[in-house]
Amino acid sequence: MSQFVRALFISRKDMESYYSKPPLVTWGLLFPAVLMLAVYVKDPSNYLGVAPGVIAMTLLFGNTSMAAIVVTFEKRSGTLQRLLLAPISSRTILLGKACSAALYGGATSLVLTVGLSLLVGMPIVNPLLLVAALILGAGAFSLLGLAVSASVREVFEAMTLLNFFRFPILFISGVFIPVAHLPTWAKPVAMLSPLTHVVELFRFGLSGQAYFASPAIPAATSVGFLVVSWILAEQAFRRRANQ
Amino acid sequence: MRQGTQEKTGGETAASRDVVIQVQNLAKSYGATRALTNVSFSVRAGEILAYLGPNGAGKTTTINILCGLLDRDAGQARVCGLDIAEDPVRVKQQIGVVPEESNLYPELSCRRNLEYLGELYGLPRTARKERAESLLTLFDLSDKAAAPFRALSRGLKRRLTVAAALIHSPQVVFLDEPTAGLDVPSARALRSLIRTINRDGATVFLTTHNLAEAEALSHRILILVRGRLVAEGTAVEIRRQVEKTRSLSVTLSADVSERMLRDACPDVRSISLVEGAWRLEVTDVHRATAQLLSFADEHGVRILELNTSTPSLEDAFMTILEGDSGKEEAPP
Repeated sequence: MSQFVRALFISRKDMESYYSKPPLVTWGLLFPAVLMLAVYVKDPSNYLGVAPGVIAMTLLFGNTSMAAIVVTFEKRSGTLQRLLLAPISSRTILLGKACSAALYGGATSLVLTVGLSLLVGMPIVNPLLLVAALILGAGAFSLLGLAVSASVREVFEAMTLLNFFRFPILFISGVFIPVAHLPTWAKPVAMLSPLTHVVELFRFGLSGQAYFASPAIPAATSVGFLVVSWILAEQAFRRRANQ
Repeated sequence: MRQGTQEKTGGETAASRDVVIQVQNLAKSYGATRALTNVSFSVRAGEILAYLGPNGAGKTTTINILCGLLDRDAGQARVCGLDIAEDPVRVKQQIGVVPEESNLYPELSCRRNLEYLGELYGLPRTARKERAESLLTLFDLSDKAAAPFRALSRGLKRRLTVAAALIHSPQVVFLDEPTAGLDVPSARALRSLIRTINRDGATVFLTTHNLAEAEALSHRILILVRGRLVAEGTAVEIRRQVEKTRSLSVTLSADVSERMLRDACPDVRSISLVEGAWRLEVTDVHRATAQLLSFADEHGVRILELNTSTPSLEDAFMTILEGDSGKEEAPP
């Protein structure tokens, strides 16, 4: 049986144990749905400017948090050791954990997107780019969460570390303020944020209009961030496995 | 089922001569603390090896290295003919591990826990379902198959953790303190299962603080102190190493002081009063007995009871520890 199939078994077990629990599904959906509703009620003509950012933010927070919580929890309960003792590589463990977290975040964001489309008629002009944004964002953010969780012992440590990164980038990644409206000094900084590229990819998918001239730019950059996140997470997992 | 299980006192079969664990000059440090220093030993197929030592001796470090959880600093560690550092995935496919803590998935049922581990070990669907059912039966857990792991008692959790280590029929099973914290019936049941596992062909690498358990279960014993192997052999051989020291237990009709007894028996190694009887550790029983008799005559004291005993494994273990501690404390 291949390592890939075993990674899928890890994902399936995590979905069964953690991600399919009703409180988690509602927690992941409720906050962004209420936020979007508030934006829509305030100004129905401008909600589309914020929606891609909120969907990307849902991915960012959902995926990084859940990946970090699951691994930290398993480290504390000793069950992560079960995986380390099994005949699977650290890459297989990483793939399994990342897939389940990505699936959870991706599904939550997809439900939010489809819900907005059905409820308020939000357009989806390019479903392919929307799916690409979901996959790339979910993958990169899950891996970032895993990289952080492998380096800490407690859930609160993981959350604190993640928040140092997550909250500041909300304000420079085009979530609430479009990149075009950012001050000149902030624009280059925005390009370094993975969230910026996921938000812009969502914009291409939903409205067809974004800061970049072509969707290839945020798509390629997001792939780059995905690869970097994988390398970081793999290094962190290897270090952890040998401690 | 594999062949080659050796009877505890019986001769070796051809298969049992095969070495399944080979450790040479293994070393590991945590910062400035040396956890293992030049540890070398081998374990033959079909053996139950007890790996003993006080807390912090390096037992778990050794197991963690042999299971691929920890990198070694120096030396060689081969399991089933493969170097654990070079081929960890293939080694892990051959071994089953029962860690000190029962660490299965609390939210999953007993059956699902076993099946999930079967998935991780690459068992085909039908095989893992059948194996899970047979292990639930063997470990008398069939009526708990649907219960979540978290709902089990400590003893049943331990039993399921041992069962989980066997899901892929490993060649070698590492048991780290398997009966720690269990009540007597649970511990006895588990010891019986360990014998069954070994009879079915698995080599067992056992760490325990329970010396009676080690003596009852194991074919061979290794004693590790401060990261160094200090004794190796069967329980009988290890006892023989310290047999020059014997215990003499004497109950007297009147109170005497320890000093008086020391004066009477100057060669005695140690004296203690245990439940009204004096226990003397001596090297020459005959001389000590004669000295006690003349002491009784001189002081008009009657000897109510006098017994000699050979050292138990625990006595031998303590003597080895004390001897090693003396070496450590001696000036260079």
